[in-house]
Amino acid sequence: MYVAVVFLPLLGAFIAGLFGRTLGDRGAQLVTCAGLGGSAAMAVGIFLDVAVGGHAQTHELFTWISSGTLDITWALKYDTLTAVMLLVVTLVSFMVHVYSIGYMHHDPSVPRFMSYLSLFTFCMLMLVTAGNLVQLFFGWEGVGLCSYLLIGFWNDRPSANAAAIKAFVVNRVGDFGFALGIFGIYYLFGSVNFEAIFAAAPQHAHETVQFFGVSGNAMTIICLLLFVGAMGKSAQIGLHTWLPDAMEGPTPVSALIHAATMVTAGVFMVARMSPLFELSETALMVVTVVGATTAFFAATIGCVQNDIKRVIAYSTCSQLGYMFFALGVSAYQAAIFHLMTHAFFKSLLFLGAGSVIHAMSGEQDMRRMGGIWRHVKITYAVMWIGSLALAGIPFFAGYYSKDIILEAAFGAHSAVGEYAYWMGIAAAFMTAFYSWRLLLMTFHGKAHAEDRVMAHVHESPLVITVPLMLLALGAVFSGIIGVGAFVGEGREGFWREALVVLGSHPALEAAHHSPWLVSLLPIIVGAGGIALAYGFYVYMPAVPLGLARALPAVHRFLLNKWYFDEAYDFLFVRPAFALGRGLWKDGDGAVIDAVGPDGIAAATRSVARRMAALQSGYVYHYAFAMIAGVTAFVSWYMFLYQG
Amino acid sequence: MKDLLREYLPILIFLGIAIGVAGGAVIASYIIAPQRPDPEKDSAYECGFEAFEDARVRFDVRYYLVAILFIIFDLEVAFLFPWAITLGKIGMFGFWSMMVFLIILTIGFIYEWKKGALEWE
Amino acid sequence: MYELPNLVPALPEILLAVAALGLLMVGVFRKKDATGFVGGLAVAALVVAGIVEVNLARVPVVTTLGGMFVLDGFAVFVKALVLLAAVLTAIMSLSWLRQEKLGQFEFPVLLIFATLGMMMMVSANDLMALYLGLELQSLSLYVLAAYHRDNLRSTEAGLKYFMLGALASGLLLFGASFIYGFTGATGFDAIAKALGDGASVPVGVTVGIVFLLAGLAFKISAVPFHMWTPDVYEGAPTPVTALFAVGPKIAALALLIRVMVGPFGHLVEQWHQVVVALSLASMVLGAFAAIHQTNIKRLMAYSSIGHVGYALIGVAVGNAAGVRGVLVYLAIYLFMNIGTFTVILSMRQRGRMVEQIEDLAGLSKSNPLMALALAIFMFSMAGIPPLAGFFGKLYVFIAAIQAHMYTLAVLGVLTSVVGAYYYLRIVKVMYFDEPADSFDRPIGRSMTFILTGTSLVILLFFLFPEMLLTGAETAAASLFHG
Repeated sequence: MYVAVVFLPLLGAFIAGLFGRTLGDRGAQLVTCAGLGGSAAMAVGIFLDVAVGGHAQTHELFTWISSGTLDITWALKYDTLTAVMLLVVTLVSFMVHVYSIGYMHHDPSVPRFMSYLSLFTFCMLMLVTAGNLVQLFFGWEGVGLCSYLLIGFWNDRPSANAAAIKAFVVNRVGDFGFALGIFGIYYLFGSVNFEAIFAAAPQHAHETVQFFGVSGNAMTIICLLLFVGAMGKSAQIGLHTWLPDAMEGPTPVSALIHAATMVTAGVFMVARMSPLFELSETALMVVTVVGATTAFFAATIGCVQNDIKRVIAYSTCSQLGYMFFALGVSAYQAAIFHLMTHAFFKSLLFLGAGSVIHAMSGEQDMRRMGGIWRHVKITYAVMWIGSLALAGIPFFAGYYSKDIILEAAFGAHSAVGEYAYWMGIAAAFMTAFYSWRLLLMTFHGKAHAEDRVMAHVHESPLVITVPLMLLALGAVFSGIIGVGAFVGEGREGFWREALVVLGSHPALEAAHHSPWLVSLLPIIVGAGGIALAYGFYVYMPAVPLGLARALPAVHRFLLNKWYFDEAYDFLFVRPAFALGRGLWKDGDGAVIDAVGPDGIAAATRSVARRMAALQSGYVYHYAFAMIAGVTAFVSWYMFLYQG
Repeated sequence: MKDLLREYLPILIFLGIAIGVAGGAVIASYIIAPQRPDPEKDSAYECGFEAFEDARVRFDVRYYLVAILFIIFDLEVAFLFPWAITLGKIGMFGFWSMMVFLIILTIGFIYEWKKGALEWE
Repeated sequence: MYELPNLVPALPEILLAVAALGLLMVGVFRKKDATGFVGGLAVAALVVAGIVEVNLARVPVVTTLGGMFVLDGFAVFVKALVLLAAVLTAIMSLSWLRQEKLGQFEFPVLLIFATLGMMMMVSANDLMALYLGLELQSLSLYVLAAYHRDNLRSTEAGLKYFMLGALASGLLLFGASFIYGFTGATGFDAIAKALGDGASVPVGVTVGIVFLLAGLAFKISAVPFHMWTPDVYEGAPTPVTALFAVGPKIAALALLIRVMVGPFGHLVEQWHQVVVALSLASMVLGAFAAIHQTNIKRLMAYSSIGHVGYALIGVAVGNAAGVRGVLVYLAIYLFMNIGTFTVILSMRQRGRMVEQIEDLAGLSKSNPLMALALAIFMFSMAGIPPLAGFFGKLYVFIAAIQAHMYTLAVLGVLTSVVGAYYYLRIVKVMYFDEPADSFDRPIGRSMTFILTGTSLVILLFFLFPEMLLTGAETAAASLFHG
C-alpha cells in the first residue's frame, strides 16, 4: 500500500501515454481515473494509519547513488506531514481527473492530457514522500516539467508556449537556489537524508561559512537558499510572474497544479525543513516579510483584473503569502492547515470557473459575462461556497485556517509579526472584495455576452458537477473537522515529530490567547469587503469606473501588475537576448566559427586547390622542381657548414 | 687526396691541348679566310650535287632500332677485348662470367631475331 | 686467382634471372598466344623464389660477389615483401591482360626483371650494385608504364617516367661520384671505413649524400621529387600502378635505409635534416593535394606520397626502433594498397574500366562485400583503430616520440586527420550517394581471393600482431648489429 500509492499514478500515466492510441479516449480516462481512485483510497488508509494512528514509517526501495561519502537511498518517508499532503494531493487530483473527463471531451488529445495529469500526480507524490533532499529535488523538478507540459498543452497557441517557457525559466531561478541549498546542506552535514540532517542540525546551528570573504551563519545561508527555491515554486513576490500566465493551460490544470498542489510544494518544503528554519531567526524573518508582502501585493492586483482565471490566480498567490508568513512565525501547523483548506476551496473555485467558461463557450473575460446565475444554478452555488470559504466567513473552511494564521502572526509579538498581521488584514479585506466582484460580475447584473452565446449557456454535465459538489463539501467541512487536530489542543499528538517548533517560538500557543478584537477583525473586514463589492457593482456601478478615472496612475499600476513583467523584461530578458545574440553572431559566428572550424576548413580547401594546381603536367616543370629541391638542400648544408 | 687528383693532371693537360687545337683552328679560319658569302655557298653541302629537300627530314624508326642493336653488340666487343687480354689472370671464374654475359646477350639476340626486329620490311 | 664466389645467398635472384631468360625464350618460340602459360610460370617462379628466400632467413649476415651483395635479416624481410607484392600484382595483371586483350608474354617477363632489380637494390652493398639494381628495376618499369601503347595517357606516363627517371638517375650518379671522389671507394663497408666516426667529413661527401638522397627520393616519390607520381599512376595500366605503389616503394625505401644507416650511419647529422624535410613535405602534400582529386588512381598517388612521408619518419629517427616502425608500416601498407587496387581493377562498367570516384557511388547497394572491403582499406589508411593502418602509424610515431622528434609526430597526426577527410569521402560516396551504374560481375576468382585475403589481414591484424612485429624487430636489429 505504501509503495503502490505512489506508483499507481505512474502506471496509469505510462499506460495512457504509451498506449493512448490503442486504448482510445475512454480507455485512457478509465485507466488514469482508476489509478488515481485507488491511490486516493490508499491515501485515506495511510492517513488513518500514520496521522491518526501515529505509525510514522520509512520504506527503503533501493540504493540510488552510492559514490564516496554520498549515499542516497530511494526511500518513501511517511509521517503526519506526508500523510496530510498525500491525502490532499490524491483527493484533489482524483476530482480533477474525473472533472477532466467532462471538461476536455472536445479535445483531440485526451490520452496525452490524462497521462500528463497522472504523471504530475506521481511526481508530486514523489516530492511529498521523499526521504532525502535529492529525491525531493527529483519530484520538485518532475512537477516543474509536468507543469511546463500542461501549461503548453495547447501547443498550437503561441501564448501558451510563451507562458510555459516563462514558467520553466522563472522556476529555474528558484531551483538554482534550491540546488545550492542542497549542496550547502551536503557540505555542512555530509548527508542529504532527512533523519541525519535533522538529528545533526542543532550542533551546526552556530557555524559560519566564508564565501567571497563574507562570513555568514551557515544555517541562515542554507535556509535562505532553500527559501529562494520555495519562492520560485510557490510564486512569492519577485518570482511570482509565471503563475498568472500559467492560466494559459487548461482549467483543470490550473485547479490541480497552480492552485491546490504544486504551488504549495514550497510551503511543504519549508515545513519539512522546519528543524533547520527554526535555527535561523533571520531566515524566518525573511520568510515572514516576503509572505506578508506577497499576500498584500497579489490581493491589490486581484481587485482590478478582468480575466476570471487571473483573478483566482492572484488570489492563489495571495493565499500562498498567508501560508508563508504563517511559516515565518513558526506556525507551521497553521500553514499546513491553510494549505489543506485552501486546496479544497481554491480548486473548487477554479473548477467552478472552468464550468462557467464551459458554459460561456470559452469566454474568460468577466466584463462579457453577467446575468447567468439562473442557467447554472449548481455552479453558482458552489462558487458561492468557495468564495465564502476564501473570504474567511465563519464556519466555512477558510475561516478557521486564515483566522489562526492571523492570530499567530499577531501572537508572535514581533515587528515582522505585526507587519504580517496588518498586511494580512488588508489582504483579507481585498480578498472578500474581489471574490464578490467576481461573483457579481459573472453571475449577476445585465448579460454582456452576445445573444448567440447566451442562448447556449447551460449547466455542465454530471462528471463536472459531481466533483464540484464533493469539493464543496470539503470547502465547507474541512476546516471545522481539522481545526482541533491541526492547530488546536490535539496538535501535539497529531504532528508528533513531523514538525519541529522551538519553545522560543510560541506564536501558535499565543494565538489561542489573543485579544477578541484581533480574532474578530478578519471577519469584520471580510464582511466589509463583501459590502463594498455589493455597493460598487450592484448599487453604484458608476463608482469603480469613476475611481479608475479619478486615479488613473493607481489603476494602471495595479492593472499592469505593479509593472513586474515590464521591469523583468527590461532588466533581464532584453539584456539576455542582446547578450545571446551578441555571443552568437559576433562571438561564435564571427570569431570562433570563422577562425575555428569554418576557417580551418576553408584554409584546407584553398591549400588543397593550390597544391593540386602545382601539378601542371609539363615534364620541365617537374624536372625544375626536382632540381630546385636538390639545390635547396645543397644550399642549406652549405650555409649550415660555411656560415 | 692530393695524390689522387695529381693522377688526373695529364688528363687535364690533354683536355686543355685538345680544346686549344680545336678552338684555334676554328678561330684561325674565321680570321684568315676571306668572308664573301653568297646563297650558293650558304646552302647545304650534299656530295657535289644540289640538295633535293630540306635537311630536317624524319628518319624511319628502324634506323634507331638498328642503331640501338648495334650499340649493344658494339659494347659487347668493347668488353671482350680487356677480358681477352686478362683471361690468363682471372681464370675460370673470369671465363664463366663472360660466358654468362654472352649467353644473356645471345638470348636477347634470339629474342629480337624472332620478333622480327632485324627484318627491314 | 679468383675463387668462385658463394652464390647461395643470391640464389633467389639467380633463379629469377634464369627464369626470366628462359620464359623469354619459351614465349618467343611458342606459336600460339603464350601469355597465360608464361604468366603462370612467372607466378610459379616468383613463388619459388619467395620460398627459397624465406628459407635463407636462417643464414647469418653474409656478403658475397666481391662484397657487392649482402644478405641479412633486413634483406630477407624486405625481399619477402617485394616478392609477395610481385606475386599478387602478377596474379592481378594476368586477369587484367585477359580482359583487355593485351596478350603479350613480355609483361610477366618484365615483371620478373623489375622484381629482380628490386631484390638487387635491397641487397646492394656497393654503389655500383645499387645503381645496377635500380636501373634494372627502373628500365623494366618504364616499359611497363607505357605498356598500353595504343593508349595516349599510358604512353605519356611511360615517357614522363622515363625522362624524369633519367634525370633522377643522373642526380644519383652525380652524388655517387662525389662520394667516390672524396672517399675513394664504392663499397659500403669501405666507404664507412673511410669516413671513420664522422668527426671530420668533407663537404663533398655531404653534397654527394644529398644528391644520392635526391635520386632515391625520386623512386619513393617523396616531395619535392614526387611530381611524376600522379601523372604516371593515372596513365599507367592499373595493375602496373598497383606494382608502382608497392614494390619499388618498398625496395627503394629499404635501399635508402641501408645506405643511410650503413655507410653513413655515423653521419646522421649530414642527412637527418634532408629526410625530415622530405618527410614533412610529403605528409603535408599527400594530405592536402589529394582533397581535390576526382580520379581514384590520382588519389592513390597522393595517398602513397603521404604514406611515404609517414614511413620516412621512421627513417629520420635512424635507430632500430625507427627501422622496425618503417618495416611494419611497409608490410601493412602493402596489404592495404594491393587490396585497394584490386577494387580499382574491378571497377568495370559494361566491359570498360572506369576510375572516377563518383563511379563508386552506391557500391554499398550494388556490391556490399566489395564496398565493405574498400571501406576497411580506407579506414585503415586513415589510421583508425583497430585496423592495421593504425598500428603502422603507431609504431613510427612511437619511435619518433622516443627520439624526441615531436614536430614530426605531431605533424604526422595532424596530416593524418586531414588525410582522413578524403579517405572517408570515398566511404561516404559508396554508402550515402545515389547509386551509379553497378560494376560488372563476377570479378573473377583470383581477384576475390586477393580481396578477401588482404581485407582479412587488415581487419584482424590487431589479433595477431606478434608475427609481423617480431619479424620486423629481428630484421631491424640485423641492420644495427655492428
